[in-house]
Parts: sequence; structure tokens; C-alpha cells
Amino acid sequence: MNLGKFFAVRGFSVAVAILGCLALDYAAQTYLQDYIVRLVFLAGIYITLAVSLNLINGITGQFSIGHAAFYMVGAYTGGTLTKFFYDASPLGAVAWLIAMILAGAALAGVAGLLVGLPSLRLRGDYLAIVTLGFGEIIRIIVINQPELGGSSGLGFAPKVQGLWLVWLLAVICVAVCRNLLKTSHGLAFLAVREDEVAAQAMGINLTKTKVTAFVIGAAFAGAAGALLAMNEGYINPDLFKMDVSFLILTMVVLGGAGSITGSVLAALTLFAIPELPRLLKIDVSLAYLIGLTAGAIGFVSLLRHHQQRYHGPKAKGRMITVATVVGVPLAGLGLGWLLHTFTYLSDQTYELNNLRYVILAVTLIVVMLLRPEGVMGHHEFSWKWVQKVLTGRKPVAEESIS
Amino acid sequence: MSEHLDLSQVNVDELPVVPNPLLKLEGATIQFGGLIAVNQVSFEIMPGDLFGLIGPNGAGKTTCFNLITGVYKPTGGSIKFEGNEIAGFNPSKIARAGICRTFQNIRLFGALSALENVMVGGYLRHKTSLLSGLALWPSAIRETEELKEQAMQLLEVVNLTDVAHARARDLPYGKQRRLEIARAMATNPRLILLDEPAAGMNPQEKEELKEVVLRIRDEFGKTVLLIEHDMKFVMGLCEKIVVLDHGEEIAAGPPSEIRSNPKVIEAYLGEPV
Amino acid sequence: MDALFYTLVGIDLNWSSLPQQLVNGLVVGSIYALIALGYTMVYGVLRLINFAHGEVFMLGAYTALLSSWVMGFSPDAIRKFYESEAAKKLADPSYVERSIPADPFNLVIMILLAMAVCAVIGAVIEFFAYRPMRNQSRTAALITAIGVSLLLQYAGSLFLPASPPPSVAMEVNPYQTNVSVTLVPAPKEIRDKFDDSVSALEAAKESGADAETIGDLERKKNDLEGQVAATATAITMTQGKIVMLLTVLVLMAALRFLVLKTPAGRSMRAASHDFDSASLMGINVNRVVTFTFMLGSALAGAGAMMLVTFEGTSMQPFFGMAPGVKAFVAAVLGGIGNIPGAVLGGILMGLAETLVTWLGFSNYKDAVAFVILFIVLMFRPGGLLGSSKVEKV
Ligand SMILES: Nc1ncnc2c1ncn2[C@@H]1O[C@H](COP(=O)(O)OP(=O)(O)OP(=O)(O)O)[C@@H](O)[C@H]1O
Ligand SMILES: [Mg+2]
Repeated sequence: MNLGKFFAVRGFSVAVAILGCLALDYAAQTYLQDYIVRLVFLAGIYITLAVSLNLINGITGQFSIGHAAFYMVGAYTGGTLTKFFYDASPLGAVAWLIAMILAGAALAGVAGLLVGLPSLRLRGDYLAIVTLGFGEIIRIIVINQPELGGSSGLGFAPKVQGLWLVWLLAVICVAVCRNLLKTSHGLAFLAVREDEVAAQAMGINLTKTKVTAFVIGAAFAGAAGALLAMNEGYINPDLFKMDVSFLILTMVVLGGAGSITGSVLAALTLFAIPELPRLLKIDVSLAYLIGLTAGAIGFVSLLRHHQQRYHGPKAKGRMITVATVVGVPLAGLGLGWLLHTFTYLSDQTYELNNLRYVILAVTLIVVMLLRPEGVMGHHEFSWKWVQKVLTGRKPVAEESIS
Repeated sequence: MSEHLDLSQVNVDELPVVPNPLLKLEGATIQFGGLIAVNQVSFEIMPGDLFGLIGPNGAGKTTCFNLITGVYKPTGGSIKFEGNEIAGFNPSKIARAGICRTFQNIRLFGALSALENVMVGGYLRHKTSLLSGLALWPSAIRETEELKEQAMQLLEVVNLTDVAHARARDLPYGKQRRLEIARAMATNPRLILLDEPAAGMNPQEKEELKEVVLRIRDEFGKTVLLIEHDMKFVMGLCEKIVVLDHGEEIAAGPPSEIRSNPKVIEAYLGEPV
Repeated sequence: MDALFYTLVGIDLNWSSLPQQLVNGLVVGSIYALIALGYTMVYGVLRLINFAHGEVFMLGAYTALLSSWVMGFSPDAIRKFYESEAAKKLADPSYVERSIPADPFNLVIMILLAMAVCAVIGAVIEFFAYRPMRNQSRTAALITAIGVSLLLQYAGSLFLPASPPPSVAMEVNPYQTNVSVTLVPAPKEIRDKFDDSVSALEAAKESGADAETIGDLERKKNDLEGQVAATATAITMTQGKIVMLLTVLVLMAALRFLVLKTPAGRSMRAASHDFDSASLMGINVNRVVTFTFMLGSALAGAGAMMLVTFEGTSMQPFFGMAPGVKAFVAAVLGGIGNIPGAVLGGILMGLAETLVTWLGFSNYKDAVAFVILFIVLMFRPGGLLGSSKVEKV
């Protein structure tokens, strides 16, 4: 390998990443409405959260479902330090923000270490409930600390937005995970996911690998937390409830556990689904609400039943895609239209905005029924892959290392 | 029994010094509740041996492997590798010390390609740090390339180059078994343990496997300990054999002796002869 | 020892309230156990964490509430009733106000309705959402379950009354009288003082003392009465809670009989031991799974109905989550997939929560479940009664 060329390319890509994020920041501040800027901000946060959980869950195979805990540790680290020490510090706002990101990452990393250790003894669902419980315990402890603002939350100044830092963090997080999978180091993590006994027999240190995954994943989540706190200037324990953990987990699974691009796509989509209806001012009648919900879930579910009965559990094919794309809207609208004849059902209407989470839930169920391995499966996004999916050919095993 | 084995070792007159055994089990024992799966088993494996471990189903052969590789902790006795006690070490430490194995019920990394499976085997010789991997540093890239090359070579040994990029899970049974051997070889062990490598193979595949095992020993200079139920295969391949039955060692010696040993025949046929 | 404890953690232990707290814990715990059974049975058969179970519970509570409204206990009806009673009272001052006659029969209908509706909901969820996922990865099934749970919560929040008045407990439940058992009476001096104050009051009344003196004496008497109650070790609970405990016992006995003694139960145990072999042995696993879901959901429905009627818990469409998670923790604590384990876990959790409250850490009540879980799992990775299977290599 030509070292000179390597460093030239590396320097260039780092520069592009930083400048790109700065440009995004500038463009967003100049041209977008405030609340859209906030969405862009949160999108970066959620990408980081999803990809970092994917490292633990999808790549290393540790069933951790309480990621919001690390996010919270990062946020409260940033918030508390700012509240008590910012005035005394000689740092400027941006330097302070960077310091807070590092501090949040460090403390969350320690939390990751604490949660990672039980993963040596606990498997699967037992580990899942422990990680979830860890989040709840931290949350309840914070609620009971008046110094941390208790349940009413912690306010502090200054607010520093750092949109570019959020996106830079997301880029770094994606890059780190991708790099890991590009080198043989990543193989150790994947091997632990695939078979712990065999991995150990190959000389892989389980403790080290699992705990490393937890620490890195948690640190990224902590950094994201610190950024969130600094952006809002106010945090409270409700921002880190179990639902948030579930949302992050859903992003990972929906995108395809182990697929980094999958996590990114799912993070953006799931994050957008509840936000888009805000922009559209549409009223939906109860008839169509029930029709679309029941139609979509019912149709896909019956399709899968049929398929499993006649083609085996793992059957796939282009026909399914076609049947779904045609059938779901047809079944949903048809049922809605039928129900619409009942005046009780057609008179009652809801704003689309109020149906955000119903839409999210239905999407979740339908996607999982159709593609249980996640949208991307174990694959990374590539045009070759898109081609294969569209033509309905069975994806041939691809090399994840190139 | 162990006395007998010792004597046969001493008989190698040509050697000026008696070589030290590579692996030495002394009274290795493990108990699961009321069941003593391996009871006071002792044997020695010299460097360069092609050693067979046989016995009827449930005799404790796999459990013996599990003791040697640290999957289970022995409840008694000692296991020495190159003179150092390894009983109770954790499996990854033992793999690093130079013992690697295959599994009776194949345990490949299903979602990874054949090539990646073998590369995992080479992981324990990694020199670059995780940090260099995370930063995609040139050293890590180079090391990955090296591992890949070595893995390719090993796939060639077991004749799997054509499926290098296929997912391990999708391979046919016989190829999976050979892939496990390649993966174990990739750790560059001094002692390689093969648990029923020929199980489920047809006669032709078995012949090919024999070649592979001999190559591993002669060309790569590994010591081999293998479990096998196919008597023809074992007798034709191994130079020394230990027979287990109900967790106990009932015979040890060269194939010719084992074949005519009444205790062994009884254990297999179930009645005194 | 109390003094030591006080100096160590700064908490003054009130021993006389301990038995009461234990009984409260038992009551809460029995409901947790009822919900936990649903988690554990489904997990035993399908290895699926049915995250929507808490929402089934929520729907059970609403079924109970709405059925009570249909039976004539709607907030409107109740308000009208009291208005008319008030009118009668105005017309005739000697008229005694009384509630709509509450009939135990109403309760029976409510609990059966709640159980039936929940059973159907459970079966429908299983058929549409979980059955197609049966051969898929468990994470995918879990996400589907989370999806179902979200759907029920948010769709529920569109249709169901948000925090309706908990009229059920006030009106439907005829068992509101307190039953009290005194274990250790109050110290003798206090009782004597109380007796003295009573006789003094009576004497004063007889002798026709002025109102001020009588008022003073009365206040003193009430004060002492309070002291007697506070220093006595007694257990007080409504009759309703006793009915509730008994019902839980009956349901558990019925479940035990069903699982151990009937063909359906045997199929269920077979499927939970080895799902694939059971299906190869000719057991209709689909029917077993439906049956399991219906059984578990019905128990959750019963629990929900009792919680709203006897404990007067107020509800909203999101309130299934907390008891759901706690019951799930209870199931894991006992060893998930293990039926007696779920009962043990549930009751231990109920007790632990009230004990923490008794110690004065009521703010940490919701965390204690998880703390106990951590401790238990560190020593027994498979839960209290569960076996932590070592993987055979
Ligand atoms: N983890 C364990 N717990 C309990 N018993 C075990 C365990 N592992 C093995 N055994 C028991 O130890 C005995 C020996 O098993 P082992 O697998 O070593 O036999 P084997 O000689 O390899 O047989 P086979 O030729 O069928 O592979 C068996 O009775 C087995 O059930
Ligand atoms: Mg074996």
C-alpha cells in the first residue's frame, strides 16, 4: 500500500466530512425553519443512536434493549457539568460543547462497561431485561435527585446548538462501525454473535469483545446525549423512557441487524414517519383509519400465512413484493370504502397529525411481517443489492470484507 | 494402562533423549451430577503423533475434548500441554496456547463466508490493535490482507477455494466439516483435535479427508488427535489409539493391538467374547 | 437494633405497620403474578416476549369499566342518581342517602366479560401478528410485539376515554367495608387513657356540661383513638381485597388443574418442552399456541378487572405498560417459562415494593424490582426456579 496516497485520501475524506457538516449546518440555519433545523439535528442524533446500538446488538449479537440509558447518562453528564461548572471554566461555548461530548461519552462508556459485564453470564432475553432495567434504575435515581432537577428536569445555560457536530458524530459513528467490519477485527465481533463457543475455541476473548462492543456503543450514545442536552438547554427524565429505547431498537431491527446502512435508513425513516404527518394537513375518517390499519396488517398477515403453508417458512420471491405493493393499498382502501358506508364511522375524523404513532406502529408490524430479517437483512446498501432485490433473485452471499 | 504407553514411548531407541509429551492427561475426570462422563483417563501424545480416540456412543470422547479445550473444567486430574498445566483454563487461552479443535455438531459462523470463517481462525495471531482497525489504519488493512491470503491457502488445502465466498450456512455437510478443519488450522495450533471429521461423508470424501489429515500432519507438522466411529478410517490412519467406554479408558496401543483386544470387542459388541 | 438502623440510614422503622404492608404486598403481588403467568406461558411455548401483554391488560381494565357503565354505573347515571337522592334528602331530612344497590352478580359478569374479551384479543393478536413470525428470528418477533403494543396504546388513546373517573370501585363494588384484625393491641397506658377519655366524655354529656367542654373532651378522645390505632399492630383491609385474593387463588388452582390434568394442558407442556418435536408427534401446535394466548390473556383480564374494582386504580390507555413490565420482570425473576416461578416472582415483587415503601424509600419503589432481578440473576442466571441450562457442546 502506498502510504503517501493513503494519507492523502484519508486527509481529503476527513476534510470533506468536516466541511460537509459545517456546510449542512450553515445551510440549515440560513434556509430552513427552526423546527425543521431541529428535525435535522435529531435525525443526526438518531442515526448515531441506531448505529451504535447496532454495534452491540446486530454486530456483536448482544441483545441489549436499553440503549436510552447510555443516552441519558451522556445527557445528564453534559447538563450537570454545564450547570455547575460552565461559568467557572475558561472555555468558549463550542470548546465547552466538545468537552461535554467527550465527558458524556466517557461516562456513558463506563456505564457500558457496567452493563457489559453481566453479558458474560446472561444470554438473550435475560440480558435484554437487565439492560432495560439498568435504564429504569438510572432514570428513577435521577428522578429522586433534587440536585439533578428531579422529575421536573434540569435547566442550564448556555444552549449551544452544534448541528455540524451532531452530524460529524453520526459520520464518525458510521465510519467506525464500517471500518470495524472492513478489517479482520470486526470478524471477532461477528464470530461472537454467530457462535460464542466456537469463537472462544478460536482464541477470541469473549469478555473483551463483548465489553468492548458495549463500551464503544454506549460511548457514542453518551456523546449523542450530551449534544442533545446542550442543544436544548433543558433535559428531564421523561426524554429517556423505555419507549426511546424501543424506538432505537426498532431502528436497528427494521434496518436489518448487522447492517449499518440499514440502521441509518431505518433511523431516518422511523424518525420521519411521525414527523411527516405534521406537515400534511389531512383528515382521515374513522372508517379509513380502521380500514387501512386492519387491511394492511390483515392482508400481509394472511399473505404470510398462505405462503408459509404452501411454500415453507423461508419462502421469498418477487410475487410477494408485487402482491404486497398492490394488495396492501387495495385491501386497506377497499375495507375503508366499505366501512365508509356506515355514517358513524365516516362522520368521525382525525387529523393525520394525531395518528402519527398509529402509522408508525402499523408500518412496524407490516415491515416485520414482510421482511423479518429487516429491510437490509445482513447486507449493506449497494446498487448491486438493489438490483437483486428488484429482480427478485436470491441474494448471493456477499463479502462484507473487501 | 498409562505404564504400558510409557514403555512403548521409551522403546524409541534411536532418539538420544526421550521427547517430552505434547499433551499429557493424568487421571482426568469430570462428573455431571451423578454421571461420571470421563473417569480417570490418562494418556500422552507425542509431537507429530496421529492419535485416535475411539469408543462406543456416549463413551465420553467429546467430553474428553471439552476437557482438553477448556469448555468444561475437570473435576479431577491434570492436563498438561507442553509441560504446563492447562486444566480449567478458559477456552480462548487454551486456543492461544496452541490447541484448536473442530466440533462434532458443526459450529461454523453461519452467516459469514467460508473465507471469513477461516480468517477468524487467524484472528488470535493479530498484532494490530483494535484502535487501528476502528481507524482503518494501513497496518490493519495490511494485516487483514495477510489473513485473507493465509485463509485462501488453507481453503486450498481442504479443497474449498471454489466456495470461498459462499455463506458457511449454505455449504453442504461434507464441505462444512472440511471448513471447520481449515478454520482450526488457521489458528496455527501445535495440536489439532478433530471430533468425528468423517461423520456423514461418503467413501470417496473419506478418502480425500484422509489425505487432508495426513497432509496436516506431514506437511504442516501438526500433531493430530481425532475421534472417529469409522473403524476402517481410524485403523488406516492413526498410529496410536486410546479406547474409552463409559468414561473409562479400556485399552491403548497401536491399531493392530486394539483390533484384537477382547475388551474393545466387548465394549463395541456388548458381550464378552 | 432500630436505633442502630436509625443511626445507619436515618430511618425510623415503624414495626407496627409491617404486617399491614406485607398484606398489601401480597395483594399487589398476586396481581403481578396473574399478569406474569401470561408472559411466562407464552414464553414457555414460543420463546417470545409478548410485549403486548400489558396492553391486553389495559384493554381488560377498560372492558371492565365499560361493562360497568353498560350495567347502569356510568358516570352520568351515577351523577343523576345522586342528584335525585339529594332532592329527596332536601324534601325529607330524615332520608338516608344510599348508593345504587351493588350486586356481587355484577362483579361476576364483569370479570367474565373482561376475561373473555381479553382471551379473544390475545388470540387475534397471535393469529395476525405472531403466527407469521413463528419461524423467524426472535428479535423480529419481539419488534412485532412492540409494534402491536404501540398500536394498541395509540389506537386506544383515540377511542378510549382518557382517564375516566374510577367510578367502578366506588359504585359497583359492594365489598367496601374494612375488616380489621388486631395482632398486637396498643400499649396498655394508651388504651387506659383512651377508656378514661371515653368515660369522661360520657360523664360530661350526662352531667350536661357546656358545649365547649364536651368539644374539648371529644377532641381529646379522637386524638387518643388515633394513637391507639397507630400503636396497635393490626391488619386492615377491605372485604374486596379478601375477595380478590381468594379469586386469584381460585384462578391459579384452575390453571394448575388445566395445565397438569387436562389433555390441552398436556399438549401445552409438551409444546413448551420441545415445540418442534411436539408438532411432529401430532400435537396441533397452532391450537396449543392459541389456547396459551387465550389463557394468559384471560388471566390478565381478570387481574385488570380486580385491580380497577377492588383497588380503584384509575386508568388511561398507556397504563398497561408499567404493570406489564413489572410482571415481565417477575416472570424473569421466577425463571421465565416456569409457571410456579411466575407466581413466586410476582408475589416477591409485590412484597419487595411494599417493603421498600415501608422502609421509607417509596420513591424507589419502581426500581427495586430491577435491583432484585440483577441480584438474583447474578447468582442464578436462569431465575429462581428456572434451570440455567448449560449448553452441551
Ligand atoms: N454438559 C453435560 N451435562 C450432562 N451430561 C453430559 C454433558 N455433556 C456430556 N454429557 C454426558 O456425558 C456422556 C458422554 O458424552 P460424550 O458426548 O462425551 O460422548 P461421546 O463419546 O462423544 O459419544 P458420541 O460418539 O455419541 O459422540 C453422555 O452420557 C452425555 O450425555
Ligand atoms: Mg461425541
